[in-house]
Amino acid sequence: MKRVACVSVVLSALAVLASPVRAADMTGKEIFDHYCTYCHGSKDGPGTMQLGRTRGKGQALLTERTNLTADYIEYVVRHGLKSMPPFAPSDLTDAKLKALAAFLAKK
Amino acid sequence: MAEPLPPGVNAAQMADALERFRKVVGGDWVFAGEKVGSYYDPYTIPNDAERYKAHAAIAPASTEQVQEIVKIANESRVPLWTVSRGKNFAYGGAAPVLSGSVVLDLSRMNRILEVNEKFGYALVEPGVSYFDLYKYIQERGLKLWLDVPDPGWGSVVGNALDHGVGYTPYGDHFGMQCGMEVVLANGEVVRTGMGAMPGNNTWQLFKYGFGPYVDGMFSQSNFGIVTKMGIWLMPEPAGYRPYLITFPREEDIEQVVEIVRPLKLNNVIQNAATIRSLVLDAALFTTRSQYYSGAGPIPPSVAKQIMADQDIGMWNFCGALYGPKPVTDALWTAIRDSFATIPGAKFYFPEDRKHRPDILIHRADTMKGIPKLTEFGFLNWNGGGGHVGFSPVSPTTGQDAIKQFKMVSGRVREAGFDYMGLMAIGFRELHHVTVIVYDQTQPQERQKLHELFGRLVREAAAEGYGEYRTHIHYMDTIAGTYSWNDHALLKMHQTIKDALDPNGVLSPGKSGIWPKHLREGRKS
Repeated sequence: MKRVACVSVVLSALAVLASPVRAADMTGKEIFDHYCTYCHGSKDGPGTMQLGRTRGKGQALLTERTNLTADYIEYVVRHGLKSMPPFAPSDLTDAKLKALAAFLAKK
Repeated sequence: MAEPLPPGVNAAQMADALERFRKVVGGDWVFAGEKVGSYYDPYTIPNDAERYKAHAAIAPASTEQVQEIVKIANESRVPLWTVSRGKNFAYGGAAPVLSGSVVLDLSRMNRILEVNEKFGYALVEPGVSYFDLYKYIQERGLKLWLDVPDPGWGSVVGNALDHGVGYTPYGDHFGMQCGMEVVLANGEVVRTGMGAMPGNNTWQLFKYGFGPYVDGMFSQSNFGIVTKMGIWLMPEPAGYRPYLITFPREEDIEQVVEIVRPLKLNNVIQNAATIRSLVLDAALFTTRSQYYSGAGPIPPSVAKQIMADQDIGMWNFCGALYGPKPVTDALWTAIRDSFATIPGAKFYFPEDRKHRPDILIHRADTMKGIPKLTEFGFLNWNGGGGHVGFSPVSPTTGQDAIKQFKMVSGRVREAGFDYMGLMAIGFRELHHVTVIVYDQTQPQERQKLHELFGRLVREAAAEGYGEYRTHIHYMDTIAGTYSWNDHALLKMHQTIKDALDPNGVLSPGKSGIWPKHLREGRKS
């Protein structure tokens, strides 16, 4: 990384050097916001719309569901379900998945 | 079911290699057994369950670890299948062409190494997603815009390497890359362009360096593993005005494209605009069952109903104006006056759209580089979840556009699917991307899709149309259509492959390029 640092100093005071983009410790809510909200966070999201059609409007938003178990969430996230692809453990780690499942199962 | 082994590697040899991989990256980052399931193609096409199955996956955190992994792969002859983030879902996701390969998952290499506002570029690792880079820029208030494809969770590096496209004036992603770092099959690290000169400060500013320009060799290829890449970013413009123009008849596409060509060549249409078909747009926020319960494609009467309900056309042209108001006003006048010659054309700005959700409101975000996943609402159209893209390239002429539209929509509808197509506008060509949405849970439907896809490829090739990108299931097929002079290009690719990767451990079969020991017995 010597070269990157060198370029930054030489080229521009506006250049911004970075650190890792993911926090090591995230809450279940933060994990949901980071990984799930684009499809499941709003009523117009593709995941919300799919669940609304297949399970009814009251079951469309994941954060409003009351019938989700942690085991089920973990299974679907790792294996996918119809349109939803699986999430690999390299990105959504086992520890994060457990925190996410606990967050959604408590709702 | 036990995970498959690659040719020539037995279970003990694979176990030994995985153990050595664990010593490089740590035991938590080698995934085998049930954990490898998340690397399968989620929208599988073949009915043979053994196809495209990884044996394991490994997730390094640094270029140095990638070097070590490649050395072990060479010694053990275990093939690696490299993915940046593995989100290339319409084209196989993270799944390898060669079953038994170990997926080299670069998701953990997710550092944003530099974002330079003065010159407008970023230097990133392959695990950085569009969401990541967008968030980084927003948090720091930098006056830069990304160009994003539809999958915001995809890799900035991976999408460019696979020749993905977006929607701003920077829509040609590989065209906007500048400077790479690549790990070769022998473990050596190369920096391309100006990056090859120690102490140079233009790696992300000037592409070509000195001597042969090699960056293209590492796109859609298996000649090396890209571990860093520069990508140019658009300075935030002084003004932004997205628009939608709708056209009422399918045959309008001929005149629309004739109008597009001079406007695009002269930069009056500034961005990578798209012309989308009715069902593709309708499917974002509604389902087929809301309009039609019969078998086969929707009939014309239903199409008219959808157009009226959603205030969209049989074709919908989404574009945007960028720059100071006097400039965008002048551009809009030229665009509006050109398309107004088509009977029934309607013109909209966001404030004109009454329904919510709405396609222009949604695309107003993507055309200014806000990453999303909204576009994948179309997967809900028939509820089956599967989708694959058929993507021939065509000259920007009305004659070609209507010919391709008739060829593809005719076959798609004959097979019982709805036509969901778009024409992405390049400077001189169109990517005619037809998404075929199918019920992946039904073996018969997958077989029907496969027969349809083969027919589409053959018929397009017979007319001189080639695909720019494809699913892992069709890489050999598509490579076979680029056959001029007895497959001279493929033979050259094979020569390069054999020279750079003599043991054939990097992504065998990618883009139809197989290493020597796996070529024999295969059709070209």
